[in-house]
Amino acid sequence: MYKLLLSWRYLRTRFIALASIISVTLGVATLIVVNSVMSGFVFEMKSRLHGILSDVEVAAPLLGQIHNPEYHTRIIRDVLGDDIESMTCVVRNPALLTFDVNGRQWTQQVMLLGIDDESFGSVTDFHPYLQNTHKREQFSFSLEEQGYPQWVSAGCPDWTTDSAWDYRRRKFSKIREAETRRLEQEKLYDLAAAEYLEQQAAKSRAWDAAQAAGDTQAPRNGEAVNANYNSNVQSPDTRQPIAASQATFIGPEQPVPRAPEKHMSASGFQHVPLPDQAPDFAAIHAQETAGVEAADSSATLRFAPTHHFNDGKTTREFRKFDPVDPYAKYSPEPAVEDFFDPEKDQYTGIILGLAIAKRKTIGEDGELKDFYMVRPGDDVQIMFPTVGGSAKPISENCTLVDFYSSNMHEYDSSFAFVPLKELQKIRGMVDPLTGDASVSTIQIKLKEGADLDAARDKLMAQFPPESYPYDIHTWQDTQRPLLSAVHMELTILNLLLFMIIAVAGFGILATFFMIVVEKTKDIGVLKALGAPSSGVMSIFLGYGMALGLVGTGAGVVLGLLFVRYINEIAEVVQVVTGQEVFDPEIYYFSEIPTIVSPTMVLLVGLGAILIAVMASVLPALRAARLHPVEALRYE
Amino acid sequence: MSRSTITKPVTIDSMGSMELKKHSAGATQLSAGATPPLKLAMPTLMSASNIHKSYRKGELEVPVLKGVNLEIAAGSFTAIVGQSGSGKSTLLHLLATLDAPDQGAVHFQDRRIDNLSPRQRETIRNRQFGLIFQFYHLLPELSMLENVLVPKMVQDGFFSYLRNKRAYKKRAVELLEMVGLGHRMAHRPNELSGGEMQRTAIARALISNPSVILADEPTGNLDEENGGEVMETLDNLREQENLTVIMVTHDVGLAKSADKTIRLVGGVVVSD
Repeated sequence: MYKLLLSWRYLRTRFIALASIISVTLGVATLIVVNSVMSGFVFEMKSRLHGILSDVEVAAPLLGQIHNPEYHTRIIRDVLGDDIESMTCVVRNPALLTFDVNGRQWTQQVMLLGIDDESFGSVTDFHPYLQNTHKREQFSFSLEEQGYPQWVSAGCPDWTTDSAWDYRRRKFSKIREAETRRLEQEKLYDLAAAEYLEQQAAKSRAWDAAQAAGDTQAPRNGEAVNANYNSNVQSPDTRQPIAASQATFIGPEQPVPRAPEKHMSASGFQHVPLPDQAPDFAAIHAQETAGVEAADSSATLRFAPTHHFNDGKTTREFRKFDPVDPYAKYSPEPAVEDFFDPEKDQYTGIILGLAIAKRKTIGEDGELKDFYMVRPGDDVQIMFPTVGGSAKPISENCTLVDFYSSNMHEYDSSFAFVPLKELQKIRGMVDPLTGDASVSTIQIKLKEGADLDAARDKLMAQFPPESYPYDIHTWQDTQRPLLSAVHMELTILNLLLFMIIAVAGFGILATFFMIVVEKTKDIGVLKALGAPSSGVMSIFLGYGMALGLVGTGAGVVLGLLFVRYINEIAEVVQVVTGQEVFDPEIYYFSEIPTIVSPTMVLLVGLGAILIAVMASVLPALRAARLHPVEALRYE
Repeated sequence: MSRSTITKPVTIDSMGSMELKKHSAGATQLSAGATPPLKLAMPTLMSASNIHKSYRKGELEVPVLKGVNLEIAAGSFTAIVGQSGSGKSTLLHLLATLDAPDQGAVHFQDRRIDNLSPRQRETIRNRQFGLIFQFYHLLPELSMLENVLVPKMVQDGFFSYLRNKRAYKKRAVELLEMVGLGHRMAHRPNELSGGEMQRTAIARALISNPSVILADEPTGNLDEENGGEVMETLDNLREQENLTVIMVTHDVGLAKSADKTIRLVGGVVVSD
């Protein structure tokens, strides 16, 4: 009883010792704050790292394939049993992405993923990362009529109401307008040129007549005429003047021949009849080959399906062919609906990481603004190898339908998603005879709490590398270097911070020695009154523990309060120092993430109390060993 | 005086160990058989035989007691006098088992106590001896009442103390009132005068109903008036509680009121 009473009284009356446990308080508070913030960050980071990676993955090597995925999924289901939440098949291969940024070409490497519309979202956190809110709810690879209201703050006001479809329609109607104007202009040039050449021919004929009449002094200015023509008539097609100048040497009586591809090749535009008329494809073909008649101004423009105004290498596909069917090209004439109209149609949808398209730019007011190199509604081109050993590059047009942003730069700057079935067809992964499609990766999501490593090991045993050239790994394996670096950082940080508490322990040790010296006489009295050494010792151990409890309690309260109000504190620090403590732009978090783990708080508290008790052991032993007579005599 | 024969077995029975109980049974028989009507006829309660004690100061060994023999009768008031350094305090410490003699033996109730285990000596100190010091040695963090209760707290475990707290408190209040400090129970030692503190120390020495009061210069630090008051209190209590008192003092005047005076000179008893 006296032990408790005295410990308690010492605690209440010896404030010097309380001062020595402030370091315990600070150490405990710091440990709690740092651990909470770190685990908050680690949790956010892990969920981001995990985001579009599945728990476990059975992957074929690069450009390789897993044949008969149905068989594999069945085997996996047998092996893992109830642990499986869901599975999906993915085709993954590196690709080159190309798009126009204000007329200049931008190319970069991406990891192209062919994903299954339905099952991919159930295996990864893909859908919540999509930027179009409608797509999050109802996923498809088609363009949306909904806009991006969440981007008001990002400095893109026209995006908020403007949907991808609105943008696409506006863009291509403007292009069509401009192209029509340009063609009209060209026609005027042509007329002027023809007129001029007619004049020159007349002059030439006059000269010939004069020659015939014997007038040798008449000027021969045919070349000068050509030179004039070159400088005056500036057609966008530089071949035109040459053709025109050549025309003068062919002979004045003949009509000036036109370059057959003039309007199609340079512009990518195709002259076709009005859509409401029944298209006469034989006539179109004749126009194409003949060329000259195509300049008929009454003809309505239609876009060539691929490669609109990219360069001169237009392929003449009027519609999309099924790539698996090698005879598709030779099928009967396409209907009007089969013609690709960018104002109404889209290519295969593609979803790009936001970091691929987004760049920072400085606006007129000097503020940083977001600039999007492409936006949903634009067309992009992807180039990738076919499957198998003798891979051939394929180029394919896609329409950007949405962005996704997992806020993991590594993913956001490299992943592009297209529909699985399209990619399988284009890459030659569909067997033309059976129609079976192979995949490159099978992604598995396990149930909450399932052991990922155990599942991976089971699958590895089922698909041994001797028989199956697969790479089987968990998402943590993929991100092992980063995760282990973070883990080590956390460990070292904890170790260092625990040193703070250890230092506090030495403070307690020193204070306690002083208190034991001060209390020598009291110890003597207690012993004289029959208190055993163990009792005297436990007074000081109890005192140490009481100090530890008080220090830890204060530290826990302080730490938890700090964690609770950390964002407010960061703001205050920012106001006071003028230095931004937490930049949401860098971390992609709007607030400092914190997770308080009760186990961690408990462990830190117990550790601190233990250190306080251990620090009081030596002084307590000294007190216990005091000889009562010596102690009583002590002045 | 008849009370002594009743109270003593009670106090002895309350001792912890079986061994001690056996002894106490013998003592009870002894005192019960004798039925002494007078103090002088009381049996020997404590005795010391041929006690040697020396302190080592560095290389030098300083002999303090060189063969002291003494006997203390139950219920007597013994004064040990002598000059500073004559070893009287050391003798008291040896009697109180705070220290062990180099040679010789201390007997208490016919039992040798100087070579007992620390645990047993602590029990004897706690229950049989009441110690009073020159500098009072009250615990400054505790109130007067708590200071008086300290021996009881030391004696009992946590729960048995809580169980008996009411009785202990009653006894402590009674004792404090007996020493005339009923109105200062809640005060801290530093709020009291030296005489009051010493009287509290007396109350503390009496809380566990000891057989012997061992006092080391109880008035040494007090002025005449306060010293007189303390001595008066001690005398009264001795009468009331039938105590055996052994008091170390250098004040010959105080020693005069004792039944027996032992004079120590240079570590040897020169006169009884």
